[in-house]
Amino acid sequence: MNVAKLLDKRRVQWTELEYLCDAMESRGRTDKAGGAHHRGAEGISRFSTLYRAACADLALADAYQLPPGTVTYLHRLVARAHNQLYRANKFEPNRWTDVVFREAPQQIFADPCVRAAAIIFFGLFALAMYLGRNEDLFPNFAERMVGSAQLEQMEEMYERPLAGSLDHYVRMSGFYIMHNTGIGLQCFAYGILIIPCLFNLAYNAVTLGTVFGYMARPDVTGGDNFYHFVTAHGPFELTAITLAAAAGLRLGVGLFSTGGLNRVDSLRESAMRAVPMMAASAVLFSLAAFTEGFLSPSPAPYIVKAMWAIGSSGLISFYFVILGFPRDSLGVHRRDEAMDPDTGSATHAA
Amino acid sequence: MVSLLEPNAGTDIRRMAAPVALDTTIAVVTPENIAFDYQLAGPFRRLPAYLIDLAVRWIAIIVLVVGVYLVGGLIDFALLDPFAMASGFIIYFVISWFYGTIMETYFNGRTIGKWACGIRAIDVDGSPISGKRALVRNLLRIADLAPLAAISSLNEEIPPIFMIPTGMIGLMAMVSTRRMQRLGDLAAGTMVIVDERSWRLPVAKVEDPRVPALASFFPGDYRVSRSMARTLAIYAERRHYLTPARRREVARHLTIPLIDRFEFRSDIDPDLLMYALYYKTFLADASDELPDLGPLAGYSPLRRDENKPQGLAGGSRAQRPTSEPPILASAATGVATPQQPLARDTIDRGIKVDLGSSSVRAEGDAAKPPEDAT
Repeated sequence: MNVAKLLDKRRVQWTELEYLCDAMESRGRTDKAGGAHHRGAEGISRFSTLYRAACADLALADAYQLPPGTVTYLHRLVARAHNQLYRANKFEPNRWTDVVFREAPQQIFADPCVRAAAIIFFGLFALAMYLGRNEDLFPNFAERMVGSAQLEQMEEMYERPLAGSLDHYVRMSGFYIMHNTGIGLQCFAYGILIIPCLFNLAYNAVTLGTVFGYMARPDVTGGDNFYHFVTAHGPFELTAITLAAAAGLRLGVGLFSTGGLNRVDSLRESAMRAVPMMAASAVLFSLAAFTEGFLSPSPAPYIVKAMWAIGSSGLISFYFVILGFPRDSLGVHRRDEAMDPDTGSATHAA
Repeated sequence: MVSLLEPNAGTDIRRMAAPVALDTTIAVVTPENIAFDYQLAGPFRRLPAYLIDLAVRWIAIIVLVVGVYLVGGLIDFALLDPFAMASGFIIYFVISWFYGTIMETYFNGRTIGKWACGIRAIDVDGSPISGKRALVRNLLRIADLAPLAAISSLNEEIPPIFMIPTGMIGLMAMVSTRRMQRLGDLAAGTMVIVDERSWRLPVAKVEDPRVPALASFFPGDYRVSRSMARTLAIYAERRHYLTPARRREVARHLTIPLIDRFEFRSDIDPDLLMYALYYKTFLADASDELPDLGPLAGYSPLRRDENKPQGLAGGSRAQRPTSEPPILASAATGVATPQQPLARDTIDRGIKVDLGSSSVRAEGDAAKPPEDAT
């Protein structure tokens, strides 16, 4: 059997596989490839048969002494069919609740990055608030930190009591989702480089803290209205940005704290661990945005907003501590899942 | 940096088995236990894809936002305006952050830009990209595009809103990893490969009638080695791109041992000899009848027949004139060579050929004695 004859014989099947690939690429099904045996389940089974045959041809290419051009062709054909046979896993929305309510809190409770990010953010926030409030000991701190033009603008903004209409609420909640979640995602992405993430986190902490402190001064106009506005959504939003930064830091820390893994494997593992945290953060951002859009600017009495803030803080604590407290059975289950990709690659290596 | 981002050696069989080729291909082992090669996509393929995606993203945002406004305006502008505004913000947010994720998840690792540039994102172990991985690699893009360069630092008049991402971090990561992964790819465990779309099955067709004729002079039991077979196939594929003079120059180095071994004339066209061996190895069938030689019948390229007069020496294409004199010089050595290879040769090729050449010999001897004498 020489190569020319072999190629003539095999070429029929390769061409058929190509047609099936074409049909799969354009439609995701094999129906349009022509021929009655290409419809429905039969077509899929035919496709996989041809794919395996092409795989076998590729495996034997060296033994058949196929010309390199043909081998290249076979590589492409197999790769193409492989891409069609093994499709991407779509998102599984029924797993999302599991991710948000089980994986994420467990991860958040166990991760030291969360604690580090929380200490940095809330520490700097409290410090800046104290420095910004205390005019006697630290004169001009707020002005230098935020800029006097900005501070005046803030005062002007909160001069009048809050009275928004529905139009205003809807629009603003859309804006807050875009803007604040955007900042959170940016914090997360820069986490892989660590320093930009820390800078972003610290910058937000100091700016917000200073404004809070400045507005708390007794001689500033609009202070009451300001607190009227920020109380309700504060807990959600500040926690969300901390979590986003923590998820980002998890990525960056994974680069050098490898825990015995290969550096790239460690980074990949950390990324998979960071995703549930980021998801939790996105949920908090959305909650904060709706609160900020609807409840915060409304003329509802302060007590309602304060109750909401207390309630949301309690909810977050429940989420982090009660749901997040390590439980053995769940912990073992989670570790099994985390091992799956590794065992997959281990089989390939073997 | 290099040691920091060293790719996972454990999953890569090819790397342990053979020295790493200076090529941008990566071997992937499928569940069928087949290793096939993917060609990696470098920065120059990925940048246009990114730019196309950027344009598509903005067009999509503008079209959707305008569409929402139009619909809202047609129904009841006063009432629906805030909702249109809010959905405008949300459309902008979702498309600008999750365009890549959604596209790659639902279109098997391809966005519109990737599709246009013929590239695809896949898992490092060759399986298609999953939603989670697509999310990570697309969210981390802004870290790869860092640091941002502000144009306003160059020119005071430009407002400081234009920040141009330089992409230095992603570029450095790509250069220093073997799979050309940016940071997002490293974190997600993905790589970007070239999605070939040309499906040509190359088999060189031999139309030159001299090739089968010359191929019949190789002994029937001669089998080329694997590396030689590969060389022959590469040569046959590429000779179309070379000028005849270059072909001979390239082929001569390989044909010298063949000429020595099979006692061919030293002035034989090396290109033709290589091509004939290719024909014999890949195309000719051992049981085939000898091809009809037509006007070439009786021509023998063998050294022992060199001093015989021949009608079409070197075939229809002219031999290099400079090599004519050595024919006579080598004629003397041709006589002195041992008969062993010739005997085997004769047996292998069968009586038919032998008869043919001997009849020609007789004919030629009678026809052109003066040339032989000189």
